[in-house]
Amino acid sequence: MKISRILGLVVVCAMALSLVGVAVGQDMVTLRVWTGSSSPVENEFKEGQIAAFEEANPGIDVELLISPDYGTQIRAGFASGDYAEVFTVGQFDFPQWQYDGLLAPGSMHIEAQDDIYAGLRAAFTADGELYCAPKDFSTLALLYNIDAFEAAGVDQPDANWTWGDMAAAAAATTNDDMVGFSAAADKFRWMALFYANGGEVFDMDGAVAIDSDAGVEALAFYQSFIENGTGDQPGNLNAGWNGEAFGQGSAAMTIEGNWAIGYLNDTFPETNWGVAEIPVAPNGGRGTLTFTECWAVSSRAEGEVAEAAWALVNFLTGEGEHGGHAVAAAGFGVMPARAQFADLWSETVGKEYAAFVTGASYATAPIFPLGFGDFDAAVNEATTLVMALEEDPADALGEAADVAREIQAEME
Amino acid sequence: MSADSRFSSSSAAKATTQAQQQRADAIAGLTFVGPAMLALIVFLILPLLVALYFSFTNWSGTRPLDQPDAYEVVGFKNYQRWVIDGRRVDDFYRAVRNTVYYVLGVVPIQTVIALLLAVIVNQRWLRGKSFYRTAFYFPSITSSIVVSFIFLFLFSAGGPINAVLSLLSPAYEPVAWTTNNDGVLHLLLETVGITEDSAGAWVEIEIMDLEIWDWIAGPSVAMSTIMALAIWTTSGTLMVIYLSALQGIPSSVYEAAEVDGASNWAQFRHITLPLLKPTTFFVVTLGLIGTFQVFDQIYVLQNDQTGRTTTSVAYLVYATAFESSSPNLAEASAIAIVLFVIIFVATILQRRFVGGDRAED
Repeated sequence: MKISRILGLVVVCAMALSLVGVAVGQDMVTLRVWTGSSSPVENEFKEGQIAAFEEANPGIDVELLISPDYGTQIRAGFASGDYAEVFTVGQFDFPQWQYDGLLAPGSMHIEAQDDIYAGLRAAFTADGELYCAPKDFSTLALLYNIDAFEAAGVDQPDANWTWGDMAAAAAATTNDDMVGFSAAADKFRWMALFYANGGEVFDMDGAVAIDSDAGVEALAFYQSFIENGTGDQPGNLNAGWNGEAFGQGSAAMTIEGNWAIGYLNDTFPETNWGVAEIPVAPNGGRGTLTFTECWAVSSRAEGEVAEAAWALVNFLTGEGEHGGHAVAAAGFGVMPARAQFADLWSETVGKEYAAFVTGASYATAPIFPLGFGDFDAAVNEATTLVMALEEDPADALGEAADVAREIQAEME
Repeated sequence: MSADSRFSSSSAAKATTQAQQQRADAIAGLTFVGPAMLALIVFLILPLLVALYFSFTNWSGTRPLDQPDAYEVVGFKNYQRWVIDGRRVDDFYRAVRNTVYYVLGVVPIQTVIALLLAVIVNQRWLRGKSFYRTAFYFPSITSSIVVSFIFLFLFSAGGPINAVLSLLSPAYEPVAWTTNNDGVLHLLLETVGITEDSAGAWVEIEIMDLEIWDWIAGPSVAMSTIMALAIWTTSGTLMVIYLSALQGIPSSVYEAAEVDGASNWAQFRHITLPLLKPTTFFVVTLGLIGTFQVFDQIYVLQNDQTGRTTTSVAYLVYATAFESSSPNLAEASAIAIVLFVIIFVATILQRRFVGGDRAED
């Protein structure tokens, strides 16, 4: 309650300031920029980017608002119709916000689009139009505990590691103190295996395919660790999430994203760990998931304000020194959305983490289309039940798929 | 005549002054309650009406309201979808079940504990009263988010609770308190040999999309942990309320009882409890409303594994409005309205049962 009151105050102050801004600098263009708060380092980075932009563009005044409760704040802005000219959009919010007409189309404005990873562009494209510029992203990869692998006499994973190798390593590293694999009951973990196995949520013709053989195999493989005792859920390993279970040495492997790099190195500096790509599926397929965010321009920005807004978006995400280059050089975990800076990122963060960025070329953003919220919830439930060993993967996915088919039937 | 007219004119004058006086009183009264009424209307009644209105629309919560196509009125569709026979009915009633078990577990226990604590710290022979009063009240003034995190630590698989229990009994198998979905009643039934398979086919009959067996699960182990936390934090607040009521009971009543030879228990049973009845009504009402709306502890303590047995109705409202991939403020409003009705009915029923004399006026 208190936070929301303080937030309210912040908003009021921001509005008051923006009024003052309009009154003082008649010929200045004022841009309100809203984004969510993450780590202090990242917040400072954003402030630095904005300061550099203002210096380069004396005619544009930017009011940056970094909000700890961004989702609620921007929604209040949307509802009232009075919101920032430039703001960040997460991939899961994109379908709804685009449908609600909040975002200005960006195909005409975003610079050098071919350099942005295809999977990221796809996440922010609707009806062939790219709406906003991906700023950075994360992918999932396999984290493994080097000491545990050595103690068990297992070779460290390489790029050709398969599901079979992973199962064998999990069995070999399981002992009284440690399980082989920490497997959270989260659809955004096993679905990395799902896409590797050639799975699709909807097939080419739009038919629901999550309960195809490829899907059932992937979930069954993920569940097998729990079933045969070579893996467990982080909650049962005395941890809040996979990263903690892995870092404290309760699990020899886990599937997590590059956000774990900073966390593991800060919290568990003793743990000696490495990263490999998500293991190759039995059919030879590769896949992983990606999570990304973009800078968007409000559909309400017009004229010179819109121009300034797109200039800012390109400044923050483009090829220039303060865009993707800066994200790569800052090296705080998230990766730059442009392929040309991938090497720079690896150099900054460390070559040993390269598997995260390698995955970008075949990664999928797991977004469910608009109107399929019930399906989304059904897949969550299926995942929980399967991981609790209460239901069989084929039955659970079948039930979830039926929900999607029902929604499709209603939409027609 | 003169005397008469004088009398009547003075009475008329008196009547005017009385009417004036009443009007002045009314204005003064309104001035006093005005600000509070205004705050109530603006921050409570209007939002309630707005929520009621939006519960009949399909507003996502993100489309600007100044757009002509911001939303459409869809009638009872949201209620139908969540409460009557739609696709999310099972999620809603699962949340209702979780909440009801939470209320049934927390309210009686916290009321009894609060009363006991109040009686204890009200004893004349107790030394260091203010220390105990502060100690018991302390959990209530600590942020519930912080307390929740402490509980998360205490009850984690390798946490202090498990460590102490294993010390006490070597045979004890550590329980993953915060992630265990097993229903407490299910576990009790299992000890007497009743499982879903042996109970007979009737437990698989579905009521509101939920099997009878699921309805009678009781709170899960994870939910019981959250309940323990709620009891621990709220008992102190309620103790303070009981304490002030206890101190309002005149000591002459007890002295008279002592002269009549009443034992301590008889005094407590026949003097303290009846005189505390209005307070009990108040405490139980507060408890009911607070527990039906439980949100923050759930927000902190639930996780991927325990969503099904710890989601409360209030949390479901939040998740529907903000968390899901297709946010829907209209549907969230509909659930919130239903929650309001549930609380309203529960409070009235409770008034029937606990209410009593003083509470009526």
